[in-house]
Amino acid sequence: MAKNGPSKTELMKGTLDLLVLKTLALEPRHGVGVADRIEQISRGTFKVKPGSLFPALHRLEEDGSIAGEWSETPEGRRAKYYRITAAGQRQLAAERKNWAKIVLAVGQILAEE
Amino acid sequence: MRILRRARSLWNTVLRKDTLERELDDEIGAAVDTLTDRYTARGLDQHAARRAALSALGNITEVKDSVRDARIGSRLEALLVDMRYAWRGLSKAPALTAVIVTTLAVGIGANTAIFSVVHAMLVAPLPYRDADRLLFIWSDRTSSGYPRAPFSGPELRAVREGTTTCAGVGAIWSNTAALTDGDPEQLRIGFVSGNFFDVLGAEPAIGRTIRPEDTAPGAPPAILITWDVFQRRFGGDPSIVGRQIHVDGRSTTLVGVMPRAFRLLLPLDSSVPDHLQAWMPLWPDAERTQNRFLRVIARMHPGVTADEARADIAGIASRFTRETGTERAFTTVALQADDVREIRGPLVALFLGVGILLAIACVNVASLLIARAASRARETALRLALGASRGRLLRQALVEGLLLTMLGAGAGLFAGSVGLRVLLVLTPDSLSRIDAAQIDGNVLGFTLAISIGWGLLFSLAPLTELFGADVLRLLQPHGRSFAAPVRYRTRAVLVIAQIALSVVLLVSAGLLVRAFLEVLRVDPGFKSDRQLTFRMMIPGGPYPDQDSFNVFAGQLQQRLAAIPGVTGVGAFSHIPYDDLPNWGGAYGLQAPVPADGPSTDLRAISTGLFEMLRVQLLEGRFFTDHEKSPVAIVDDKLARELWPGRSAVGQFFYIRLGSGGGARMAVVGVVRHLRVRSLVEDLTPQVFLPWRLAQRNPIAWIVQADRDPAALTADVREAVASLDRRVPIHDVRPMADYVENARATRRFTMLLAALFALSALVLTSVGVYGVLAYAVTRRRHEFGVRRALGADAARVMRDVLREGGALALTGCAGGLAIAALAARLLQNQLYAVHPRDPISYGVALALILGSAAIACGIPAYRAASINPMDALRSE
Repeated sequence: MAKNGPSKTELMKGTLDLLVLKTLALEPRHGVGVADRIEQISRGTFKVKPGSLFPALHRLEEDGSIAGEWSETPEGRRAKYYRITAAGQRQLAAERKNWAKIVLAVGQILAEE
Repeated sequence: MRILRRARSLWNTVLRKDTLERELDDEIGAAVDTLTDRYTARGLDQHAARRAALSALGNITEVKDSVRDARIGSRLEALLVDMRYAWRGLSKAPALTAVIVTTLAVGIGANTAIFSVVHAMLVAPLPYRDADRLLFIWSDRTSSGYPRAPFSGPELRAVREGTTTCAGVGAIWSNTAALTDGDPEQLRIGFVSGNFFDVLGAEPAIGRTIRPEDTAPGAPPAILITWDVFQRRFGGDPSIVGRQIHVDGRSTTLVGVMPRAFRLLLPLDSSVPDHLQAWMPLWPDAERTQNRFLRVIARMHPGVTADEARADIAGIASRFTRETGTERAFTTVALQADDVREIRGPLVALFLGVGILLAIACVNVASLLIARAASRARETALRLALGASRGRLLRQALVEGLLLTMLGAGAGLFAGSVGLRVLLVLTPDSLSRIDAAQIDGNVLGFTLAISIGWGLLFSLAPLTELFGADVLRLLQPHGRSFAAPVRYRTRAVLVIAQIALSVVLLVSAGLLVRAFLEVLRVDPGFKSDRQLTFRMMIPGGPYPDQDSFNVFAGQLQQRLAAIPGVTGVGAFSHIPYDDLPNWGGAYGLQAPVPADGPSTDLRAISTGLFEMLRVQLLEGRFFTDHEKSPVAIVDDKLARELWPGRSAVGQFFYIRLGSGGGARMAVVGVVRHLRVRSLVEDLTPQVFLPWRLAQRNPIAWIVQADRDPAALTADVREAVASLDRRVPIHDVRPMADYVENARATRRFTMLLAALFALSALVLTSVGVYGVLAYAVTRRRHEFGVRRALGADAARVMRDVLREGGALALTGCAGGLAIAALAARLLQNQLYAVHPRDPISYGVALALILGSAAIACGIPAYRAASINPMDALRSE
């Protein structure tokens, strides 16, 4: 479960968690790889700063949603690769649903004006 | 799982800090390398590529900091945010917070106070070395009417020599002796076997205790004193230890002083008072004394279980029976368990009662929190919609609950320590052992545990429905009534539970009150109002024989009777309900009387005593000053048994006094049985002997006054001193004290139970009121519409009352069922009251329904007086 709260940064973190999980659901990546991927799919809308990305990765690892292990990059360098766990898959599904609700609810609120 | 992971993470953070740091360095380093590679591939040179990579990553120290925060700091930070949020919420509603904290303080405080008593009495070990190895051994003489009787010398010896499971078997007998240096003072003395203190496992503060060599034939007399006597009589001068003092005129070595805190805690019915003042060795051939007078403790070898010791000692009893031909049975019990035998039941009942009180208090808190959650529902819904997870809301509720709990626990501890102090002040002498109760680490732990446990429960209560609720529905316009019915139902269930629990407490308290009133109404067979008692030991030196003894006693009786305001004087070997060893003897119609035959209680009385006590004479006469041949007054119990259907007066029977085969007694009178040992049961039959012939020493005097007897204290002392200054008197107390003491445990239990029940009643009324007031507010609109459509005020009022009545009746039904079960637990404290006593149940129901009616009446009235226009406009 994401640790969301009333403040904006926390809300952003929650969104970031969702995006990170989604990215890792396809294949294991290292930190830079995750950032690249998010930027790529969102066509540059989200440029993830390392200052948010690494804390997010570690938080998710601690929650058990993703697991990190050291291995080699195609370029032959050592890097910490993260993969999604079963708990992470479940969380991704829950967050997706929640997100859909939020979109709908916020839409309704905006429409009510 | 989640908790495990959290724990591991915390573990890693704290203990594997270096590894984690190194890994983090590596990970960031690898990212720099990867980016550098990328920039190099785009054509930058090595140096520029690296610079670009570093700037892309930003401030690396900051990145690492935020990773560290994310690992554990984020949790702490979130917790702090939650705490601040909770605190803001609470301080914005000071009245609500105050009500909750006060409610908790009452519940937690009462539990803290009672638990500290329960802990000190039932849980904490006795203050002796390895106290769990201590046993108390009774001689079981049920057939003679004494299931918990003392040992004779030979019985002690058989157990001491025969046991294989006990490291030591010691004995004690309590009596008095006088310190005769300076102002004579009679002390309560424990006469002990040489190994007694070793078996008990207690050490002296100064000098030594009584040792085996003190009981050897020809050993010089020795005395060991309490800290109190040491301070009072000897000014706390340690050089007195080892010196000679005079006890009953005999030069005696003061061998040691026990520590200030030392107390000898033996079973209450062992006739060894808690407040012994000194100890002296038993005489050398005590183990050959046939009288049953010794109270026996034993210390098991390490590793031996109580069952093994019990079997061992039972085996000794059957060997003893085989070898001596006299039937013997010994009952072996753990000393600790036996010490609290009588108080355990009441304490456990009080502990359960106070637990119920806390449950009721917490229901009120939960109810208040639910009401507030309902008023905040829209805010909550918005937060959910904006992405706050339910876990987050849960955590916030918990943090808020725990904050309240901690405030409540703090206030409760304070209330508890005040309550405990009040409790100890109110404690009667017979319960003086609960003085040991204090608020220590164990009590703190208990208070924290119950606070947190209940805190979790009541802080989760508001969330029960939230988790099933639908965010979208919550957010719909006019959402005022959205979840309220659901929440209202939870609160209604809580109130029903509360009413049921209150009924249980009220019924239990009612039963105890009724039983106590019955005990108050007991006619013990004698009067005890406006009487002053005191004890004395008539010294053998100046009064060596029966005649000089009787002359002294006769003169004293005359001087006491001559005090202005005294209307009667008598001497009695035992004051009713005192802690002197019982005096009894086997009786029969033929001599020799078998030692193991049925026994009667024996009491020596002077002339004038029964007249003063207004004892009911059924037949014959009281004693006169001129009895020459052995005569006795018997109680109706013995008369019926020995001479059924005949007149007892003029009949003869035999009593074993000491070791002879039995003394022949002529019955001159029959009196109604005197409840002098127990207020609530008729124990063994009784035989009264004239004090002039059966001289008992020490003796108690009872003086009847026509005013407050305490006012006679100085006159009584003066009367004794004017006759003989060498005779010390002690324990000058009104007779009412003894009678009061005999009822004290019941009074104490009853008062506390009543206090708990009344608190429960108040809390429950508040709870009922809260729920109905809330229901009325919720239906304000509806009532307004109905009034506008023509419903009259009485109709609306009736509706609300019906709603409250349904809650109250449901709760009462459940409560009565539980109370009927709970009353069985109280059974052995219910003297002359049936556990289904209709009066107790009726009063409990009347109280709860009456207060529920008031609690419903206010909201009902308010509902009826709603102005339709106002109600509709506010929508």
